[in-house]
Amino acid sequence: MKHLITIAAILGIMVSCAKVPASTGTVDAEPSIFPDYTDVVIPSNIAPLNFRIEEKAEKYITVFTGGSQKIIVKGDKVVIPPKKWEKLKKSGLIVIQVYAMDQSGSWRSFIPFTYSVSDEIDPYISYRIIPVAVESYQELSIRERNLTSFKEDIIFSNTMVQTNENGTCINCHYYKNYTTDNMLFHVRQYKGGTVLVLDGKLHKVNMKTDSTLSAGVYPAWHPTHDYIALSNNRTHQSVHSVSHDKLEVLDDISDLILYDIKNNAVSIIENDSCELENYPAWTPDGKKLYYVSYKYEGGYGEKRKNEMFLARKDFHFNLYSKSFDPDTRTWGPTKMEFDAAALDSSITWPRISPNGKRLLACISTHGVFPLDQIVSDFIMFNLEDGSYRHVDELNSPFAESYHCWSSNGKWVMFSTRREDGVHTRLYFSHIDGNGHFSKPFALPQRDPDYSREFLYAYNIPEFMKEPVHITPRQFASFISSSDATPSEYESKRGE
Amino acid sequence: MNQKEENKIPVLISKTRWILPIAVWAILSFCTPQFLQKVEERSFFEFDLFWFCGFLDKPSGILSWCSLFFTQFLYIPWLGALVWVLLLTLSAELTRIVFRMPSQISFCTYIPAAIFIAYNMSMGYMIYLMNHPGFFFLPVLGYLWALLTVIALRKAEKPVTSIVFTVIWGFAGYYVAGFYGLAGIAAAAIDKAVSKNKYRGRMLSLAVAAAVVILAPILFLGTTTYYLSTAWTIGIPDHVHSVSLERLQLPIIIAFLFFLLAPLSGMLEKMASKSIVYIQCTALTAAIAIPAISWYRDSNFKTELKMIQAAENLEWENIPALLNRLSTEKENDSSWQPTRVMVVLKDLALIKTGQEGNRAFDFEDGDKDQKRRWDVQMSMQIGWIMGFHYGIPGLCQRWCYEESMLFGWSNTTLKYNAMTSILFGNTELANKYLNKLGHTLFYNKWAKKQRPLCNDRNLIEKTAPYDQILPLMCYDDLISSDQEGCEIFLKRHFNGPSPQNSTPLYDRVSLLFAIKSKDPTLFWTRFFLYLDSNNPEKIDRYYQEAAYLYSNLENNGLLEALPFDDQVKKLYDSFKATSSKIGPKSMNEARNLFPANLRHTFFYYYYYVNNLNVF
Repeated sequence: MKHLITIAAILGIMVSCAKVPASTGTVDAEPSIFPDYTDVVIPSNIAPLNFRIEEKAEKYITVFTGGSQKIIVKGDKVVIPPKKWEKLKKSGLIVIQVYAMDQSGSWRSFIPFTYSVSDEIDPYISYRIIPVAVESYQELSIRERNLTSFKEDIIFSNTMVQTNENGTCINCHYYKNYTTDNMLFHVRQYKGGTVLVLDGKLHKVNMKTDSTLSAGVYPAWHPTHDYIALSNNRTHQSVHSVSHDKLEVLDDISDLILYDIKNNAVSIIENDSCELENYPAWTPDGKKLYYVSYKYEGGYGEKRKNEMFLARKDFHFNLYSKSFDPDTRTWGPTKMEFDAAALDSSITWPRISPNGKRLLACISTHGVFPLDQIVSDFIMFNLEDGSYRHVDELNSPFAESYHCWSSNGKWVMFSTRREDGVHTRLYFSHIDGNGHFSKPFALPQRDPDYSREFLYAYNIPEFMKEPVHITPRQFASFISSSDATPSEYESKRGE
Repeated sequence: MNQKEENKIPVLISKTRWILPIAVWAILSFCTPQFLQKVEERSFFEFDLFWFCGFLDKPSGILSWCSLFFTQFLYIPWLGALVWVLLLTLSAELTRIVFRMPSQISFCTYIPAAIFIAYNMSMGYMIYLMNHPGFFFLPVLGYLWALLTVIALRKAEKPVTSIVFTVIWGFAGYYVAGFYGLAGIAAAAIDKAVSKNKYRGRMLSLAVAAAVVILAPILFLGTTTYYLSTAWTIGIPDHVHSVSLERLQLPIIIAFLFFLLAPLSGMLEKMASKSIVYIQCTALTAAIAIPAISWYRDSNFKTELKMIQAAENLEWENIPALLNRLSTEKENDSSWQPTRVMVVLKDLALIKTGQEGNRAFDFEDGDKDQKRRWDVQMSMQIGWIMGFHYGIPGLCQRWCYEESMLFGWSNTTLKYNAMTSILFGNTELANKYLNKLGHTLFYNKWAKKQRPLCNDRNLIEKTAPYDQILPLMCYDDLISSDQEGCEIFLKRHFNGPSPQNSTPLYDRVSLLFAIKSKDPTLFWTRFFLYLDSNNPEKIDRYYQEAAYLYSNLENNGLLEALPFDDQVKKLYDSFKATSSKIGPKSMNEARNLFPANLRHTFFYYYYYVNNLNVF
């Protein structure tokens, strides 16, 4: 319903009665448009890539040509009719020509740009919508978006459970193998627990045990067996005074745990008191777990947190892995995969491509929370030959952070602050057989001004093959009415 | 008195009812303009379809949008007050007309309006906790919607039409106005039930209305994300606090109970004229007494609002004057003290006007508790002002974001976020906020003025207020959390290690914080830095007093080395003499024992201003 009226009106006015200018001067450049969709590779099932022309002019005409199809749109707000868009995409290559008329009435044409139509993308994504804030969480929602249209629905919102007296935070949604019949997210504080959907049925568990540090935090669902690897974190944050980075986030302690779904039991993967283990990620065969860690041998007790904030720039997280036998649930020895510290860098958020050949991660100067570091970029590893490279095609002067591979491994979705340095937005990029990424493009919106007007941030984007089948109200009733089942602690099985 | 004369009394009283709105408007406009402006500053309304669509997500969203539309007029307090009072009067008069109430009981219709006035004007510090968009105008607009519902449903006279219309209007009304839509449906059903017209199927009509009232919220539950128990009261102003909501919503619910009784007013016609006189007089008394008794009165709150307003408008000279005026008014009130908000704003203003060295201790110090029932952090009142004007833009932004999360975006937080983005040189982000303000009726000019500053460092350096903030940003980036203690955070910040590229302004501010900390070592460090970088022709009075006191206490040989004024020496001797007579006393006791000239010295501050709660 949202924005339909606007768009209908805009479409009605813009698509009608437009004619291509007969004679024009030329501008030796592509037009400036927002979002920057010039020369991008797009999925064959993506919604229209609407944009605003940012060139100063009195009138605008945009012509989309794809094979025998042609659409002419009038005005600086270029909104493409969805049905015509579908036909355009079938041509495989859409050429976009923009014309602008100046005050004297003469038209000029810009160098055309293209949309190259490529592989399909998972039809759904989900993300958390959060205000840019530090501590408060008055209104948070996990939402799903249909990428083939502009339809966005709420999966769950904390406003459905929390009361004025008791606040509720929700975070870290995750799916098993991109399907929604097995998914999870965490509910903190009031009515707290980890909400698990197992074969379509709702459960709420409390993974905090006497022997573990906290409830589960960053999850990685085992691809073949009923396990979930999670980090345990004790997180703190601090505000920057005069920096483009707004926050400094760190864990003064963190460990890794394995949650056994069938037995509702938690066991330790890593809990070295000197290591800050974090961000688990399974390989597609489920026989190896990647994670990051930093060795901190500082003091304990009250002062630890403050000391850590002071020493934060020395925190260089390295990439590690552990082999795993899912049938016997036994772990192999720890292996360092990438010594980021040697490069005065810190690596975080490893995510392995579905074919198991590549690992994409964030790299920055220090620390464990790339979202709030302007210098955070992407680094990609070729797991077959061990080589790695900074992914310049994806990186921007602002923070690049959480990312996710599509189920077919052809697309990557990532969150970035490239638009204004503060509000995290979602971008997509295609990866070819040589491991080269195409120019990233922003999540298409019905209204091209949406991203500029929207004062909230996107967080934790994940691909899904299907929508979530449980309704928000079902989640709310369940979370409100059920207590979290305590998980059992199981001692570690031998390495 | 005969019966005829008795009947005239309520009519005569009724004719005076126009005085009430005029009086309320005058009081609002002239006595509480800062409060009204604060309501407006904490709200936001833009002429933008995209923004409007954001209100379509839940029932009563459209009414909130309308309320925000009216709230923007409080930018000019008398105008906003006029609009509000007109709407209140309309609600009362329309009630009388719609329910054909005799003028003998006309003041009864003013009771809901009186409750709405009391609700808003009793808020005081609660204003900092209200997070319902357009809360100020919401009840009265909801009331008018409910009246409209009664009028509309009267048009459908045939039973079938009436039932269909009730269902459609009921559901639509709930979507538009939430609680008020349901109240309208209930009142319309009662209206029909007691109607003198031979209306067929009145019981069925009541049953349908009851069904709509019960079912509409349940039906909408599937499409919205609000908490289940609030479904029937959605639209009644909400707030952020761990106090049960129901207690605060009760006045609005009571006002609507009066509304539901309005259709029954026809029964009063049969009453004896004496009873009518009694009812009219009681209603008049209630209409006056309800707002009068509950009206929030606190001179500290009022002065705080004025001081905050002055800081927002960069009228720094006004801030110490406001504090002075209040302390003069309260001269005979031995229990009076300023609040910490007043004290820290005064210090900021003195720095901005370069008077801190000569006037810092001219004012009463204190930590008077704010007159409120609920906890309101200092950071929620002035966190962004402190962060911004003390050159800690990260802190300013942090508080703007926290505020926006809790209360939604407001004109104030958008303004400060735009200004901090300009300071950071982040044009894209600054434009984001300026675009929003550009769509408003009253802030578009301000936004237009700021645009040239984006990405023009030279211009920023010459333009107020940035010209006084950039010199304070001379330190290397620090990370810290103010832990919601705004003043404590500032102390820690300025009492920390001095930056290598310290500026004269930074040294002045640090010296003020050092002198206030009563730490001689810190004072001497900052004092010499200040002398070095500012090279004053004459050392400011209070710095002389501190240096003189510490030199005496430490016997460090500086008494001869520094050029102390004779006046400082005399004051010190005089203070010493008085002090030795009085002996150790608490702050409140000492205040009454020392003459003003000695009270307004650093010596007095050092010895007698102790144990202040800072936040």
